[in-house]
Amino acid sequence: MKRSLLLIGLIALAVCLSVTFLTGCAKKAAIKEEPVVTQEQKPAAQAPAAVVTDDREARERALREQALRDQAAREAAAREAREAAEREAKEAADRAKKEAAAKQAAILKELQIPDIQFDFDKYNLKPEAREILKTGAAAYLKYREYKLVVEGHCDERGTVEYNLALGQRRADEAGKYLGDLGVEKERIKTISYGKEMPLDNGHDEAAWAKNRRAHFVVFPPVQ
Amino acid sequence: MQELKRLAILTLVLLVLFGAERVSGKVYIDIDSPSFQKFPIAVTDFKPLRPGQANVELPVWFSDTLGRSLALTGYFHVLDERAFLEDQAQAGITAEGTRFSDWVTIGAEYLVKGGFQEDGRELITEFRLFDVVNGELVVGKRYSGKPDDKNRMVIQFASEILQALTGEAGLFDTRIAFVKKSGSSADIHTINFDGSDLRKITNYGALTLSPRWSPDGRALAFTSYKDGNPDVYLRDMASGATQKIVSYAGMNLPGSWSRDGGRLLLALSRDGNQEIYDMNVGNRLLQRLTRDFSIDVSPVRSPDERRIAFVSNRGGSPQIYIMDADGGNVRRLTYEGNYNTSPAWSPRGKKIAYEGSVDGRFQIFIIDAEGGSPQQLTFGGSSHESPSWSPDGRYLACSAHGYGRSRIEIMSANGQNVRVLHEGNEGCQSPFWSPHLR
Repeated sequence: MKRSLLLIGLIALAVCLSVTFLTGCAKKAAIKEEPVVTQEQKPAAQAPAAVVTDDREARERALREQALRDQAAREAAAREAREAAEREAKEAADRAKKEAAAKQAAILKELQIPDIQFDFDKYNLKPEAREILKTGAAAYLKYREYKLVVEGHCDERGTVEYNLALGQRRADEAGKYLGDLGVEKERIKTISYGKEMPLDNGHDEAAWAKNRRAHFVVFPPVQ
Repeated sequence: MQELKRLAILTLVLLVLFGAERVSGKVYIDIDSPSFQKFPIAVTDFKPLRPGQANVELPVWFSDTLGRSLALTGYFHVLDERAFLEDQAQAGITAEGTRFSDWVTIGAEYLVKGGFQEDGRELITEFRLFDVVNGELVVGKRYSGKPDDKNRMVIQFASEILQALTGEAGLFDTRIAFVKKSGSSADIHTINFDGSDLRKITNYGALTLSPRWSPDGRALAFTSYKDGNPDVYLRDMASGATQKIVSYAGMNLPGSWSRDGGRLLLALSRDGNQEIYDMNVGNRLLQRLTRDFSIDVSPVRSPDERRIAFVSNRGGSPQIYIMDADGGNVRRLTYEGNYNTSPAWSPRGKKIAYEGSVDGRFQIFIIDAEGGSPQQLTFGGSSHESPSWSPDGRYLACSAHGYGRSRIEIMSANGQNVRVLHEGNEGCQSPFWSPHLR
């Protein structure tokens, strides 16, 4: 009796344990499986199919894919090379342009004669003005395709009309001297602005001295 | 111009009701006398011509506007109405209705009365000028027109008063052209003699200088840099049509016209030197008048056209010279000072106005065209430049610069009665008085 009771108890325990174990396992499996199915989706589902296909087909496809990849790589390389060439050409052009502009700027700078000053109601060229014009004339003899305009200006004192005449005379004197130094007459134009375009709007001798001037404007050749 | 013509026609149509003819030719005022004193004149408020009209503004408007216009001429002292003795409510606007003794007592020599009648689109006015001392009518006029014509009616009668008392019609139909700078451009403007109606004539965004009215007032010659070079243009003032008429290399500046408008003096640098030329405006042919290796500029004709005054620095500094019309017989006119420019020959031919340097500034002088001692007209801390005579020779316009302001001014030919026509921050320069534009 005692043995049979023990056996029944053992069986019952075993059943209980196994039920507990089985149900516990079933629960765990259900929880784990779900995310796997949802995450792997088709490839996971097809994977068994790939295994089913035969090896030759797989190799062929791999080759084709490789070929496609190679072609894409070649095209990318060609594009990069082309772009690099273009970039380089553009940079070279820019460089050339910059160099030309710099050269042009250097020429213009060389041709830019600084303003020369005059005494009140005078149009004779002072010694320092002659020196400036000599340097300027040399530049115009070097770059013969450039022309220039000589502007004559006066200070604010005195008549509009007399100052227009005086400014014209200042421009003409400077222009004539450049002509004497060999610059062709046809390349020199003169214009007077009288007292109408002061450089300095002040009303003292410092301003007036600046305004009694001949100003030189370079005219590059028409391209 | 058209409006002026319309008023002129109105004036012809108007009935000259009053016996003004007996004063024609008689000049009451010798304004050239050195002892000239302003004439005391009274202007009463105007009255409705028909009883019952109740316009409260017009009676005072007429008397104020006419009084101001008369005062503007510099010839009249307009009496303050608070001094009036005559009972204005009782008095009439005719000689019969006027107690002349009341006006003699307060020192008036002349008296203006008038009336108006306004019905919607028509305005009728009557003006009467009385000689108070003799108790008689000097001139009376009746005008009819639109209500907008009232200003011109007043100015027309102010001209009648001047005509009757001075022998000349005054300057109400004249304008002054001048140059107004704005930054690096300058444009020609015109303004009425009384400072009203400023108009911008050119608008090139370039330097435009030296306006010169043609003798009939229909055209204006000037120099403009609008195409780069200072060239001479001619503008028709009615249509605005403008043509380039002189464009030699270098400087091209207009001088004065001949009386018939057929010739225009010019200062040009085309022959390598600033010289004076006389141009036939019709065929543009030039006659060169000066041959001197110096600056010759700013030529003006004498009214008889026999001589030309101009500026030259052939003596070492800019001075006024006179030559015969053909360029011969050159003689120097000014000797005082080291900078004398901008000659303007008076319409009566005897005087030349110019600007000269005094203590670092410029002032206006006049000198006898035959030579002699100059008389200084302007003084003070401002510079005065570019004199231009009124067509009757009784006023001078000039520009004035100083203390950061720039003005166009008018003064009597003796330098008195200075009046500012226009004022600005930037340069106002080169005024040039028109002929009569009526």
